[in-house]
Amino acid sequence: MEEQAGNIDLNPDISRRGFLKSCTIAAAALGLSEAMIPRLVAAAESAQRPTVIWLHFQECTGCTESLLRGSHPDIARLILDIISLDYHETVMAPSGHQAEKSLHDSMEKNAGKFILVVEGAIPTADNGIYCKIAGRTAMDILAEAAPKAAAVIAIGSCASFGGIQAAAPNPTGAKGVQDLVSGVPIVNIPGCPPNPVTFLGTVLHYLTFKRLPNCDNLGRPLFAYGRRIHDHCERRAHFDEGRFAEQFGDFGHKNGYCLYKVGCKGPETFSNCPAARFNDVDVWPVSVGHGCVGCTEPGFWDTMTPFYERLPQVSIPGTGIITDADSAGKKILGVAAAAAGIHAAVGIGKSMIKGKDKDKA
Amino acid sequence: MNYEIKNVWSILLRLFHWSLVLSIVTLVVTGFYINSPWTNTTLEGTGAFPMATMRYFHFLAGYLFAAAVLVRLYLYLFGNRQERIWDILPVTPRNIKSLTTTVGYYSYLSDKHDKRLGHNVLAGLTYVLTIAAAVFQLIGGFYMLYPESLFWQGWGGAVFGSQQQGRFIHHLLMWYFILFAFVHIYLVIWNDIRSPEGLTSSIITGKKFKQKNG
Ligand code: HEM
Ligand code: SF4
Ligand code: SF4
Repeated sequence: MEEQAGNIDLNPDISRRGFLKSCTIAAAALGLSEAMIPRLVAAAESAQRPTVIWLHFQECTGCTESLLRGSHPDIARLILDIISLDYHETVMAPSGHQAEKSLHDSMEKNAGKFILVVEGAIPTADNGIYCKIAGRTAMDILAEAAPKAAAVIAIGSCASFGGIQAAAPNPTGAKGVQDLVSGVPIVNIPGCPPNPVTFLGTVLHYLTFKRLPNCDNLGRPLFAYGRRIHDHCERRAHFDEGRFAEQFGDFGHKNGYCLYKVGCKGPETFSNCPAARFNDVDVWPVSVGHGCVGCTEPGFWDTMTPFYERLPQVSIPGTGIITDADSAGKKILGVAAAAAGIHAAVGIGKSMIKGKDKDKA
Repeated sequence: MNYEIKNVWSILLRLFHWSLVLSIVTLVVTGFYINSPWTNTTLEGTGAFPMATMRYFHFLAGYLFAAAVLVRLYLYLFGNRQERIWDILPVTPRNIKSLTTTVGYYSYLSDKHDKRLGHNVLAGLTYVLTIAAAVFQLIGGFYMLYPESLFWQGWGGAVFGSQQQGRFIHHLLMWYFILFAFVHIYLVIWNDIRSPEGLTSSIITGKKFKQKNG
């Protein structure tokens, strides 16, 4: 079995070769030239490791898991090596009061300097009682920690946009960090989970250039979310040439044709998945035959579903009908045609009656 | 009966109208194709680009559509008397009366009809609504066409939200245009039969026939 972070001890020592390799991967993800790699390496090697406080709220810990269990353990080690992770509920040794104490000590000691990483959404309904840690609500903890941070990194779609917790009807009033925090630079790394390389790139960018990377209007770094999946997809030639899988397992699917007609959301999704790929074996969903579900976009649970259809369903008000846009459109057009028919018939009837009246007169 | 010929619609307005017709027909056909490409090429290496070609014509027609909409917006402000927006905004007593008369006339409640030269106010307002829908449609279209432009990301994002929501609304608005075209054609024919004044040909010739002293 290949060595993975899961089946070996997470040894913080990283080989020189692995270290340089990871820095190079991050530089490639950032779109930096080869000449910049030494600067990234120098920044990653420097003794001043920024303090990172990592808060878990309403989430599944998938973002952390995918980060630590990447088949490329060097990335996880590099991240743990270049930052000083003072508080992270999944990987830290202390627990209970000890853990709380280290959180507070670190926050006070590094006020204004630490990077706050938030994983998970923050429930706000009923004063936030749906997520409590050590007796305090997530809202409270975030409100205390965020203003003291130098920058906030929201990792995953939940921390960025609320994720599945915020899907309609959003019973707990879940929100992303950017809806609750202002006055501190925030960068969103959405994805379910996001690619570890994107997180590493963002941290290394911060270390090297002392600022967060340039972002789009949704606060996502342009180096990773600047382009649509569809415009970098290896199946794009099949799209342009009109070759599609009609359903899973058919001729088109077996021949690697475009997944547009089975609901691929690549045309509506910004992410570097086709370029960065996952798990060090160069795969990503579309490459293995499943359409993109648009996990990096705000509200994707509500707007990208049904996952195997192109567009959301519509409900025609007052009728209880929930259907796809085109059959709704045809129904409404049918009603309009019937109304026009009746309207015309009334007109013809009236003029016939009037015609008779005229004859009489 | 004595008729006189009146100039009603400028060349620019007629050009706008037929550009809009041509572009909408093209956009609806290619739009349906883009949503669900009904040809499925299984031959490889044939050099056919059906999806790319349909998209190309969609974008070409999209530009024509956008140009037509801009022309209409210009005419609302600087067109002739019938073309300006003041002629149909229900804010003057004359226009409010046109609205009520037309509703009565269309629902067969009265035979009185508004004999003005330009649009009756009900029709005029529907056209304003349609142009507004068209503005939304083209913002959505350009949002999808230039996904990496921060300008369109700003507008599209503010108006629609994500690309997927923009696309969904783009698709729904298509049905508005189909519905509009149907009702529009029906009412033009209906009006032309009930009160003949050359309504249908006026959008080709620019002229209407009005009864003298009528
Ligand atoms: C009456 C006007 C229009 C109609 C009826 C229309 C219709 C459609 C439809 C049905 C789709 C497919 C969406 C889907 O279901 O996935 C579409 C896609 C699209 N439309 Fe339009 N459209 C109109 C105007 C425009 C304009 C003005 C533009 C701007 C150039 C535009 C650009 C696009 C783009 C870029 C796409 C996505 C194509 C792709 O990603 O493959 N559309 N349109
Ligand atoms: S598989 Fe998806 S992302 Fe790739 S070309 Fe087809 S629609 Fe676009
Ligand atoms: S391919 Fe789409 S759904 Fe899959 S991780 Fe990338 S953005 Fe998310």
